[in-house]
Amino acid sequence: MAATRAESRAREIFTTLEYGPVPESHACVLAWLDTQDRCLGHYVDGKWLKPEHRDSLPCQDPVTGEHLASCLQAQPEDVAAAAEAARTALESWSGLPGASRAQHLTRLAKMIQKHQRLLWTLESLVTGRAVREVRDRDIPLALQLLQYHAIQAHSQEEALAGWEPMGVVGLILPPTFSLLEMMWRICPALAVGCTVVVLVPPASPTPLLLAQLAGELGPFPGILNVLSGPTSLVPVLAGQPGVQKVAFCGSVEGGLRLLVQESVWEETMRRLQARMERLRGGRGLDGAVDMGTRGAAARDLAQHYVREAQSQGAQVFQAGDVPSDSPFFPPTLVSDLPPAAPGTQAEVPWPVVVASPFRTAKEALAMANGTPRGGSASVWSERLGQALELGYGLQVGTVWVNAHGLRDPAVPTGGCRESGSSRHGGLDGLYEYLRPSGTPARLPYRSENLNYETFGLAVPSTLPAGPETGPSPAPPYGLFVAGRFQAPGARSSRPIQDSQGKLHGYVAEGGAKDVRGAVEAAHQAAPGWVGQSPGARAALLWALAAALERREPTLALRLERHGVEPKAAKAEVKLSVRRLRDWGARAQAQNHSLQVAELRGPVLRLREPLGVLGVVCPDERPLLAFMSLLAPTLALGNTVVLVPSRTCPIPALDVCQDMATLLPAGVVNVVTGDQDHLARCLALHQDVQALWYFGSAQGSQFSEWASAGNLKPVWVSRGCPRAWEQEAAGAGPELELRAARTKALWLPMGD
Amino acid sequence: MSARNPGTELDLSWISKVQVNQPAVLRRAEQIQARRTVKKEWQAAWLLKAVTFIDLTTLSGDDTYSNVKRLCYKAKYPIREDLLKALNMHDKGITTAAVCVYPARVSDAVKALKASGCDIPVASVATGFPSGQTHLKTRLEEIKLAVEDGATEIDVVINRTLVLTGQWEGSDFIKTSTGKETVNATFPVAIVMLRAIRDFFWKTGNKIGFKPAGGIRTAKDSLAWLSLVKEELGDEWLKPELFRIGASALLLDIERQIYHHVTGRYAAYRDLPMS
Repeated sequence: MAATRAESRAREIFTTLEYGPVPESHACVLAWLDTQDRCLGHYVDGKWLKPEHRDSLPCQDPVTGEHLASCLQAQPEDVAAAAEAARTALESWSGLPGASRAQHLTRLAKMIQKHQRLLWTLESLVTGRAVREVRDRDIPLALQLLQYHAIQAHSQEEALAGWEPMGVVGLILPPTFSLLEMMWRICPALAVGCTVVVLVPPASPTPLLLAQLAGELGPFPGILNVLSGPTSLVPVLAGQPGVQKVAFCGSVEGGLRLLVQESVWEETMRRLQARMERLRGGRGLDGAVDMGTRGAAARDLAQHYVREAQSQGAQVFQAGDVPSDSPFFPPTLVSDLPPAAPGTQAEVPWPVVVASPFRTAKEALAMANGTPRGGSASVWSERLGQALELGYGLQVGTVWVNAHGLRDPAVPTGGCRESGSSRHGGLDGLYEYLRPSGTPARLPYRSENLNYETFGLAVPSTLPAGPETGPSPAPPYGLFVAGRFQAPGARSSRPIQDSQGKLHGYVAEGGAKDVRGAVEAAHQAAPGWVGQSPGARAALLWALAAALERREPTLALRLERHGVEPKAAKAEVKLSVRRLRDWGARAQAQNHSLQVAELRGPVLRLREPLGVLGVVCPDERPLLAFMSLLAPTLALGNTVVLVPSRTCPIPALDVCQDMATLLPAGVVNVVTGDQDHLARCLALHQDVQALWYFGSAQGSQFSEWASAGNLKPVWVSRGCPRAWEQEAAGAGPELELRAARTKALWLPMGD
Repeated sequence: MSARNPGTELDLSWISKVQVNQPAVLRRAEQIQARRTVKKEWQAAWLLKAVTFIDLTTLSGDDTYSNVKRLCYKAKYPIREDLLKALNMHDKGITTAAVCVYPARVSDAVKALKASGCDIPVASVATGFPSGQTHLKTRLEEIKLAVEDGATEIDVVINRTLVLTGQWEGSDFIKTSTGKETVNATFPVAIVMLRAIRDFFWKTGNKIGFKPAGGIRTAKDSLAWLSLVKEELGDEWLKPELFRIGASALLLDIERQIYHHVTGRYAAYRDLPMS
């Protein structure tokens, strides 16, 4: 009988009917840490790596402060060792038939299933998150992810023909949610044949345990390597030979913004507060808490935010049964935050919700889209039409209608704008780790001499360059912006030479202000262009194709002057016409619906335009490359600012004459001038949604660097010419993938 | 029973405004069961509390005086005395909330309870239970007779024909179902009913009681029902005046769990007195 100490307690509880602790033991974690003598190194090539003379950081229980283990911090040579292991493993792993990789992933899923208690206890213990969340959501989802991607790997040869694995992938993880965020990224990478080096922040042991489980499966130890170390190692990892991609994710699942219609504001606030009062917080390893903690740093962040909001005049409501000491923080509802207050734009920290009222759905949409972020959103309404209107209009990666936070391996999730443009899950997630077969591998070469401050800043001055030798008909002159030819702001021109070195003609010298004007025109045209049905867009592309056909003799002559054989010149024009027709036809049938487990109802996978695209065309194939890049962007609903071929821009300007009459003004804008200078203007423009740069290696490097300012997706050629005449390179699915983004719209059913 | 529901003006706009988001309700139902477990002495105390909410019920065609009498005795002594002593709860006067029988057995129950000297109320199902498909006149007569026999609580089967055609009735307590349907008390349905009770309270200040019935057989189920009411309506609803569980087999399972809590062993059925 164990019934002496506690029984007086029962009397008391009988009256108060309070909840009690439901502690989960973490003995299994301690036992696992003991196998490592409480010292965690790195897991590389199927073995624990514990180099000597490394700094170590303590891994602690964030609630009790109990010392759990010390974690060695990696040095650059450890990163090199992990990259080496991944490179070696890549040879055998990527060469396997997809079906064999599928078998291996299935075995990993079984391995995780067998040790899931250890995994969830460890994750909850070190992160402080509620064990229920990890056990009931993260672990099952991790298993589903492995199973889904095993199936994708099984049919890879047929379903993903024409694509090959990128190679070694570097992955940078945040401190919380490391297990799940890791699974969303390593599953597709491993499935398609990549190998992975993961860099986790100090004292995040779950990924190490996962790597150990994978490593102990045998034959492919080096496919998953995990290092623990500071973020200063990220450039080291990115610079390792063979590393083809670095994926990273910031902190996820922060606080929330809540927009509530004025007519139901009072009622909603009342219900929300009533519900918040019932929330329970506490130690993560308590099975009956709704929320754990995200550590002392997250708490300080939340506290700071709430104090700031209060000082700006906001109303703050805090409730719930949550311990008052650090690292806990009660669920907090902030309302009446003045729209112009600094906190309104800042990211809301967990566990804070900022509520604001709105009047109409239109206003709500403007408010929701008026932030630099675009991860996910949910819409709550019983009016289906209105919910769908908002669902389509929200500029985010995922929209749930009357639900929140659902995820499934088959549904791509991601974001736009500063939430990042990569996708996880579904087919979209697989393409993140694939490249079209035959694409040259990315070299780790980076020019140290490139001066980001001055690259492309100055435009070399141009002078009259001799007599124009009879171009016929005379090429149009000016920048094609907002549907008409305009004089450049600089009022100067650059000479274009033909293959004989003679002056072919002058084109306008575009500058920063011209790019600004072009981007503005493109934005003005965007709503109208997106609003056109795919069929209407297809019809316009076909009309443009017909106009191009009529212009064939002139265009071929222009190309011939630049040294193209007459036959080849004709073929280039013909192929350009075909590109327009093909993409017109593909404009249809971009969206489809998915069926997922645990949800009655469809999930729509929508392909949405990126917005305003900046495209810098290559020197080679001046007409074909221009058309091959323009056609998919238009077909998928983008508006575009193009910089045509540096050496031969005139054919593109010829086509602009037809676009002036056929397309709505501003949908296509063509700015001629210095390629580097215009690329700089586009890359540094915060309101250009994506940049494609086909030019020098230096220009590519600059474009990537400058585009990081608003995290716009970039596609660069690194100075490698592209086989535009070939179907895969000139009109392949890669273009379609890059010209639109995927949104998942969840539509649960219910009577 | 709580103070009577004084009623309000019938405002059909309340009803037409009701929106139920079924997928969200289903998710909430799942959550509550997973997130609100109670263990050890909390579990024991909660289970004893659950006993005090039970309408200990027998609704069989072959009910007689002897099994109704046994039921009443069990209602008075729901948990073995030694187990209560071990928990130091023997002086709390723990009984079930009521016994619930058919109208014809009300007098048996009243008699048996009087004989054992306790004032547990007798509830009677009435009005053409379980279908309610009899004439208003006989249904009213049935209530009258049950009350005359000593029933102090009546579980009325509402006229579902009227409900389905949008003609509503009022009450002091609402019950999930008769317990005789193929689907009885489920969590999603309960959430909708509890929210309706809460809305009514917010609008009028009147507290309506809630009684799930049918299919609640295990101690674990009963704990989930308690936490559901606690979460959705709050502690003020966790008293017999506002919350009942209609059940027959549940009590025995609770007793077994208490037995296990006290002794550390699982009980055989013969270790516990039957009802």
